[in-house]
Amino acid sequence: MMTAIAAGARFTSVRDVLAFLRHDNVRLVSIFGSHDEAGALRVHYMLELDGREYRMVGLPVDGPIPSATPVTPAAAWYERELYETYGVEIDGHPNLQPLLSHAGEYHFLQVEGNGVCEVPVGPVHAGIIEPGHFRFSVVGDTVLNLELRHFYTHKGTEKLFEGAPVMSAPMLAESVSGDNCFAHAVAYCQAVENAGGVSVPPRGRALRLVGLELERMLAHVADLGALCGDVAFAVPAAYTARIKELLLQASTRYFGTRCWRGLAVPGGMKRDLGAEQARELSHVVSDAARDFAQLARLVLDTPSMQNRFESTGILSRDHARALGVVGPAARASGLKMDVRHDHPYGAYRKLTLELPHYHQGDVMARARIRIDETAISARLIGETLSALPAGAISTPVTCPAAAEGFSAVESPRGELLYWVRIQDGGIRRCHIKSPSFQNWPALPLAMPGNIIADFPVINKSFNLSYSGCDR
Amino acid sequence: MIFDIAARSLASGSVLIPGEQLIGACAGSRMPAVDPKLLTAAIAQRVVEACPTSALQLEQSGERLTLNYGECIGCGRCLETGAGVFFAAEKLMCCGVPKPALIRRWDIETRTELVAEQTAMAANGEEIAKLLGRALNIRQVDAGSCNGCEAEIVALNNPYYDLERFNIHFVASPKHADMLLVTGPVTRNLAEALRHTYEATPSPKLVVAVGACGCTGGIFAGGNAVAGAVDAIIPVDAYIPGCPPTPAMLLTGILQALRCRR
Repeated sequence: MMTAIAAGARFTSVRDVLAFLRHDNVRLVSIFGSHDEAGALRVHYMLELDGREYRMVGLPVDGPIPSATPVTPAAAWYERELYETYGVEIDGHPNLQPLLSHAGEYHFLQVEGNGVCEVPVGPVHAGIIEPGHFRFSVVGDTVLNLELRHFYTHKGTEKLFEGAPVMSAPMLAESVSGDNCFAHAVAYCQAVENAGGVSVPPRGRALRLVGLELERMLAHVADLGALCGDVAFAVPAAYTARIKELLLQASTRYFGTRCWRGLAVPGGMKRDLGAEQARELSHVVSDAARDFAQLARLVLDTPSMQNRFESTGILSRDHARALGVVGPAARASGLKMDVRHDHPYGAYRKLTLELPHYHQGDVMARARIRIDETAISARLIGETLSALPAGAISTPVTCPAAAEGFSAVESPRGELLYWVRIQDGGIRRCHIKSPSFQNWPALPLAMPGNIIADFPVINKSFNLSYSGCDR
Repeated sequence: MIFDIAARSLASGSVLIPGEQLIGACAGSRMPAVDPKLLTAAIAQRVVEACPTSALQLEQSGERLTLNYGECIGCGRCLETGAGVFFAAEKLMCCGVPKPALIRRWDIETRTELVAEQTAMAANGEEIAKLLGRALNIRQVDAGSCNGCEAEIVALNNPYYDLERFNIHFVASPKHADMLLVTGPVTRNLAEALRHTYEATPSPKLVVAVGACGCTGGIFAGGNAVAGAVDAIIPVDAYIPGCPPTPAMLLTGILQALRCRR
């Protein structure tokens, strides 16, 4: 990645973008608005070509624009947000009800027919989880339709970036989705580095890789445990919690923070790791991975788990493609994509990465992806720690007076992208494309035909962040 | 299969951390501590300027330094700019305390800590302890957090902390709860649901605000989509600082809020 941001040379209007989006080899990554230095409104389309090149198109907008949603449904929520936050009129969008603001009345799709009931769930849920609203239309136990109403945790985070000093804004990025805080911080830092033409020293890049892969392990290990918990298989649920805690305590020992907060900074990392510490951390990680692999085998071989996980909550490849689904959910539905592989960044540039993928698109496939990826992450951490490059962990960043930059990272939930505009040493605009914002609309497509009692396990198998989506 | 699991369980042994090691511990939280003997006006000035959340402030025309743990996100800037004087705290007792007790004050000239007056603990904490014989049911409410606090609250149930050994349970409904453990900042979209949750919780009840955002709004304070800290919406009895608080801090806070410290 980090190809130069195409200034829109081939695109003079939104219609050109829509024509481009019709091609099979083009994926919509994000749509967002901004005001340029003169205060004029621009709409940005982030596209991916052939699964290997990001193309950024920024177009001045004056009046209504045609909707991209009929071309690719992946655009639906982006355009709703654009309409709501920038007031851009969008022609031909099927549903422009506000996403972020809950001030007005909201109309759910009414499913009609004999015996159809609506079941509202949330925003305050029964477990220790984030808030969101799910509206099920059911006949008996069987779900006919699921509609989401989220953005309860909308905090106006992108707005809070505006005016924040470039060097201290990682703390905002870390609080977009707390359980992926390091991925967010690194994505933000890389966007700034991209804008300023800064190159992070090899040791800083390697330490970032360790953090990113450790965060992936934490997420995947916890996800498998939560899946087991949801189907009342308590032993693996407790064991995975124990493995996760072990890794958090190791992070405390070697980095002084359980969750890798405050470590990434534009230009590199804030804290180094000694040779002995690196060896110890490497041992902890490989032990955890071995424990987890044995436990996972146990889970996969248990007939009652197979019964609950297999053919439950199927997301078809076509639906996943149409909605631009990313991350483990995409790889479980037959889409071979991973930012680390397609747009390698930092220390990933030197790696060859195998991509586990499955075609079933069910809960089991999403569980297997996480199991496979945990082993790969542990291997990457081990290899990186055993050959940590010598030298500095960061380089001084001189902030450009005015610049734009973007960066994508494969967070545990998938493609995470930050786009920043810097002006006078501060952030003028920051757009966050979070994998959860992209993937939430796919969850309702995995529900019809399933029983409502399977919703927790299906929802957990996607494990999307509410705060990451709502921002 | 079941034998494999049983064998594993037996072979692995217990990892439970004794309660007395957890009370007051805060390793990994990145919360700062101060050595007042080394404090100077210049250092105080530097750390106040470096603090991005105004957790550190000068009072009485620069004679006193105050540190509001409720606003601190543990970014570590005071540890860098005030190296030697400021260091990562290993112990933090201001968890599960009334709001004024989140603030510590140092007189710069005499280099001593000004100990705040002891604030009385919430009366209904004792009421619950008396009523329920130390059993406590908690309903956790995410009123808009980044989910960092939730991840640590979930960790309270893992085999290292095992909250249930203290007779503390997380329950699914506010109607079953004695305590609401609320993370923030409270967003505009969730303020009403939080009010309803509070009303649905039977009295006597305790409300504990969790995390920098729950205590003060944290880095989201003043945001246009944010209604405020938890106490801007419902009455709060005790506060647990941190970004996020570690499981040990949460446990300390929950127990201190009840005044049933072991």
